[in-house]
Amino acid sequence: MAEPTQSDIDAAANRHGLRWLLNWLLVGTRSVMPAAGATGISLVLVIAAMCFLASLALGAALSVAHVTTGWTSDLSGSVTIEVKQSNEMTPDEQVRAILYILSGTKGVKSARALTKEDMTALLEPWLGTGNVTDDLPLPHLIDLRIDANAPPDFIALSHAIAQAAPGAVIDTHRQWQAQLLHAARAAEWLAYAVLLVVTATMVAIITFATRAGLSANREVVEVLHLTGARDKFIAAEVQRHFLHLGFRGGLIGLILSVATFLLLGLQSGTASGETSLFMLPVSGLRPGDYPALLCVPVAAALVAVLTARITVMRTLHRLL
Amino acid sequence: MIRFENVGMRYGMGPEVLRDVSFHLAPGSFHFLTGPSGAGKTSLLKLMFMASRPSRGLITMFGRDIATLPRNDLPDLRRRVGVVFQEFRLLDHLTTYENVALPLKIQGRAESSYRADVRELLAWVGLGERMQARPPTLSGGEKQRAAIARAVVAQPDLLLADEPTGNVDPEMGKRLLRLFMELNRLGTSILIATHDHALVTEARAPELMLKGGRLTVRG
Repeated sequence: MAEPTQSDIDAAANRHGLRWLLNWLLVGTRSVMPAAGATGISLVLVIAAMCFLASLALGAALSVAHVTTGWTSDLSGSVTIEVKQSNEMTPDEQVRAILYILSGTKGVKSARALTKEDMTALLEPWLGTGNVTDDLPLPHLIDLRIDANAPPDFIALSHAIAQAAPGAVIDTHRQWQAQLLHAARAAEWLAYAVLLVVTATMVAIITFATRAGLSANREVVEVLHLTGARDKFIAAEVQRHFLHLGFRGGLIGLILSVATFLLLGLQSGTASGETSLFMLPVSGLRPGDYPALLCVPVAAALVAVLTARITVMRTLHRLL
Repeated sequence: MIRFENVGMRYGMGPEVLRDVSFHLAPGSFHFLTGPSGAGKTSLLKLMFMASRPSRGLITMFGRDIATLPRNDLPDLRRRVGVVFQEFRLLDHLTTYENVALPLKIQGRAESSYRADVRELLAWVGLGERMQARPPTLSGGEKQRAAIARAVVAQPDLLLADEPTGNVDPEMGKRLLRLFMELNRLGTSILIATHDHALVTEARAPELMLKGGRLTVRG
């Protein structure tokens, strides 16, 4: 077998090793700008971390928006009638009378008296399994689903129910709806505010890291300049380099955030199968939301490219 | 082709490193630039490859006044000048082949059009076996030869070399001198800044002598 030549040795040295693989995977950009080195990998990791946080913030904002919409639509179509003890009629007689009235009322889509099992299922998460016993003075509830676009005349309905069932009270949830809506909107604004702060921080850090990366490669820019490269050639090489780095970092951050959301979505904690976090229902991201997260790596790449172009053009204009 | 008239240069508010420098390099000329350390040789070369501006005086490169030249026209002039830097200034992340081919890549030429020429040039300067090596793995002499190859690969109109034989043995130094003379024969003007008096004696070419910032021409 022939001895390897110096050329073979040099070529082999350029190809092998974990370090070469990491460099090729993370920072190889086929540009005249140097790809290898701690600076390039550090930039990719910084961008990945910031994009991970930005993706989480964006996903959380979208998730809160879904929850807000879900809550308000649920409550706006829901009414509860509470039937208490009365000297004149038993609760069951009152329930039958109310259901008869509701069956003929316009705007009522459906009405259902909650059974003992329904009440137990509602209360057990709060009181504990086995603690909902017969001696608890539970009211009888009737769950109404109304047409939110053409609701019934609640004043007339209240009068009719009061005459048929003295112990009945209508709860339209308006008070709770208003408070819940206010809290949900506040949470939504907070989520978007966090997103804004994270985005601004991401832009600032990527800008700084790009300038640092360019500063470390000032010699390359000067040699290209003195060898007769036009400003737009140098800028194009620099832009391509940082576009690749920015997009790779953004993609890594996006993949990590999607994995995080998928893991959260796999958790289940309620009878309805919805995911929950600390006993609060969290609907998580919908399949249609995941494409929206793609804007994060795109934004990261754009910030890196614009910063690189502005910085290199300033550097070149300071040179003769 | 290159004309300096009463050129002066200073760095910041310091004393002038070049004073009333006047000379003319005709097309196809061959000159040495000599002088003691600190005489201003590198500063003069910087003016010639347009990395610095003079404090005063007139510099005309290829018939164009540098002071009034639009910035966008400078790259075209720089492409006509090949430079061998004293500190080589090879790009460590590129292979020897890529470093030498860089001027051609910058000019927008396709690699297939210059691959054979670059390989031939590298073989001629004795780097045929080190094409895939990167500068950190090259010896001082190999780096110097790579820097020279990069400066001449585009067949420039003017070649400026700052101590091009400083890191090579006498035999390679003579070989490089023959390369410069061959380039000169083909029409490239040559200006070599050097302390190597043997080189000056062998070439028997005119000297631009710098001392105390002032230049005199001999030969």
